[in-house]
Amino acid sequence: MSTETKAPDAFEPKIVAFVCNWCTYLGADLAGTNRLEYPANVRIIRLPCTGRIDFNLIVKAFEIGADAVLVSGCHPGDCHYTAGNFHARRRWKLFRELLDTVGVDLNRVYFSWISAAEGAKFQSLVTEIVEKTKAMGPYQEYKSIVAES
Amino acid sequence: MENELRNAIRELFANQGVGVAIGYGRVGVDGAVGAVFVTSPDDVDQLVWNNECRQNLAVHLTRPEVKALGKIAIVCKPCDARAVVVLANEAQIKREDLVVVGVVCEGIRNVKPDGSTSDKDYPKCETCVQHVPANVDVVIGETSKGEALDAKNAEVATTAGHQAKLAKLRAMSAEERFQYWRDEFSRCVRCYACRQSCPLCYCNRCVADKNRPARIDTSASLKGNFAWNILRAFHLAGRCVGCGACASACPAGIELDLLNLTLANAAKEHFGFVAGTEVGAAPLIGTYDRDDKEEFIR
Amino acid sequence: MSQIITLEQLKSALDEKLSQGCRVAAPVLDGEFASFKEITKADQGSYEPRVAMQNSIKEFFFPKHETLFTFVRQGQDVVLTDAPDFEVDQIVVGARPCDAAALPVLDPLFGWDYQDRFFQQRRAKTTVVSFACVKSDAHCFCTAVGGSPENTSGSDALLFDLGDGSFEVRVLTDKGKALFEGKTTDSDKTGQSCDAPTVDFEVDKIADWIRANFASPLWEKISLRCVGCGACAFVCPTCHCFDMVDEGSYNKGKKVKNWDSCQEAMFTLHASGHNPRGTQGKRQRQRLSHKFVTYPDKFKFYLCTGCGSCSRSCGQMFGVRPTLEALDKEGVKAGQ
Repeated sequence: MSTETKAPDAFEPKIVAFVCNWCTYLGADLAGTNRLEYPANVRIIRLPCTGRIDFNLIVKAFEIGADAVLVSGCHPGDCHYTAGNFHARRRWKLFRELLDTVGVDLNRVYFSWISAAEGAKFQSLVTEIVEKTKAMGPYQEYKSIVAES
Repeated sequence: MENELRNAIRELFANQGVGVAIGYGRVGVDGAVGAVFVTSPDDVDQLVWNNECRQNLAVHLTRPEVKALGKIAIVCKPCDARAVVVLANEAQIKREDLVVVGVVCEGIRNVKPDGSTSDKDYPKCETCVQHVPANVDVVIGETSKGEALDAKNAEVATTAGHQAKLAKLRAMSAEERFQYWRDEFSRCVRCYACRQSCPLCYCNRCVADKNRPARIDTSASLKGNFAWNILRAFHLAGRCVGCGACASACPAGIELDLLNLTLANAAKEHFGFVAGTEVGAAPLIGTYDRDDKEEFIR
Repeated sequence: MSQIITLEQLKSALDEKLSQGCRVAAPVLDGEFASFKEITKADQGSYEPRVAMQNSIKEFFFPKHETLFTFVRQGQDVVLTDAPDFEVDQIVVGARPCDAAALPVLDPLFGWDYQDRFFQQRRAKTTVVSFACVKSDAHCFCTAVGGSPENTSGSDALLFDLGDGSFEVRVLTDKGKALFEGKTTDSDKTGQSCDAPTVDFEVDKIADWIRANFASPLWEKISLRCVGCGACAFVCPTCHCFDMVDEGSYNKGKKVKNWDSCQEAMFTLHASGHNPRGTQGKRQRQRLSHKFVTYPDKFKFYLCTGCGSCSRSCGQMFGVRPTLEALDKEGVKAGQ
């Protein structure tokens, strides 16, 4: 990972990545062992499977100050538990619609399939998320409801 | 129609060993209509049927106090009857132990902030197309307004909802929507009337009540209220039948059913699924298809 | 000779207070709904006597959630910081007399053995301006518990809507005097409230029945349609139960005090899984006993001002008045 070189007041977004133990976590690991550089803004939370990732964790991530959230797991057909990611896929399809109606910025919620072999994909996706989030700025709206609570 | 209903219930007491009939009666202040629990054929005349019969009585089917009264007969509007189907599909009730008396419904009047009845229909009733109950044991009444919904014509079911209001909301920017809900949720007091009046919020212990660890803040702060209302709506994804009991029970007048309607629309659009229209249907989120949409996944 | 103030004068008096850093709460209209909210300009409020409100004024004395203290972990230590004192002046304008009457009812509770500084400081800092009622509805029963449409209890000033864009001001306390002194003009007009709501039950007799019928099957029978939410308690100006919980993370967070309701099954659930009030009948018995027997026994006040908010906001058409009427009809008058 790169060292963050920045001006003292530059905005460094916090990105929370919920990843599955069997594919994306290993993909991120591979990025590291291959010395593929990606921004240090991402905080990786390893869970057994995308099927385990409660939608509430996304809300929680925003509550504790995330500026964007990534949820990532095995490609369809590759799930260590056979079908966890299929269940997750259906859940996220619906959950995105709910977030949309509530007014949560969908440009701050990402989903991806990244296998254990795709260290480069992890690198490029995380870099892209960080760049885009930097351009959007801090997620003030969610931060403001937390600050007022 | 009221007499037809009363006779049918009397008949159930006589021939089907019913211990309690859950119906509507003039029980509230100034004769407001609420649930009555008739335990003897002599009291059947308490039952009424009119356009003030607002509550979804299916909420009582899973309550121990009510189950203790014996075999249940229940009066259901077409939307409420769909909740019974979901309860049976999710193994919360044994459908064969229950008699569902469906009543033909042409719309229910809205309630005003002072608890009295408005001269306007519920927003969800204005566009409703399900006037004849489906999957019930007895149908009371007639209408020229349309047929019972079953799995075949289920695609029309979710037009029962205040789609226009939702469409207007969805046309705003994300910031405006967030601001809208911020104003609405600021009034939420976390009384859980939405949850308690919902027939499908039947968990013995709601995740909102779990405190080791606390899943969401129990405070009625903006943070806690956003988390709660998102959680409540999503736990009903693919399950909500759009009866509107949540919004009608909300003391703060928050239009919670817009959130549920969003999910009902999405379930229909993306998965062709309409909750409570098909007996024996597997739960939407409990199943998957290898070909489910994934255009949003990178 | 009476004192009157025009609506415009009232608003400019409030604006003046706002500009001095005072907090002001008033009824705010949102579509058909009116609720008490904090305002930043007097114009945001809607100043006319109302029967139906979506909330009561209690949240300006006993907020729906309130921080008691915060904690931060620093090395091996945990640093606790008390919540700050409530130091701003506050005006609640547009209260119904039955809202204001709840404040003296709650005073002994929050100052009995433990002195609740959160409530007491707000109470000391707040001026309550009530509007005498101009109409009542079928939910109202203030007369049954000693109130009236022009009850002065708990108010610092009582305003009578004269129907011509002005109010007669009846100043009741020094706080009320401080707010209105020099703002009113002499007049010979006097305001009038509506007739008192009628009731055909006697609360004392029902209270006696409750004392004698703890185990009556009537409790379960009349409570069947209650689904056990907290709406009645949260709109009630006198209900004051609360829960204290920790919020935050291992490293920092706060202890907060949140409204709670005896109608929710969780309220009395023991860690063992046993629930002494396991059915809705038992929970309704608790609510009614507390309001009309145990609270008056201890503090000499009914824990109810007859405002009717509970039954107005109940989705199941339940609430205190229907319950009292059912107990009166099926218990007291049936001689059970």
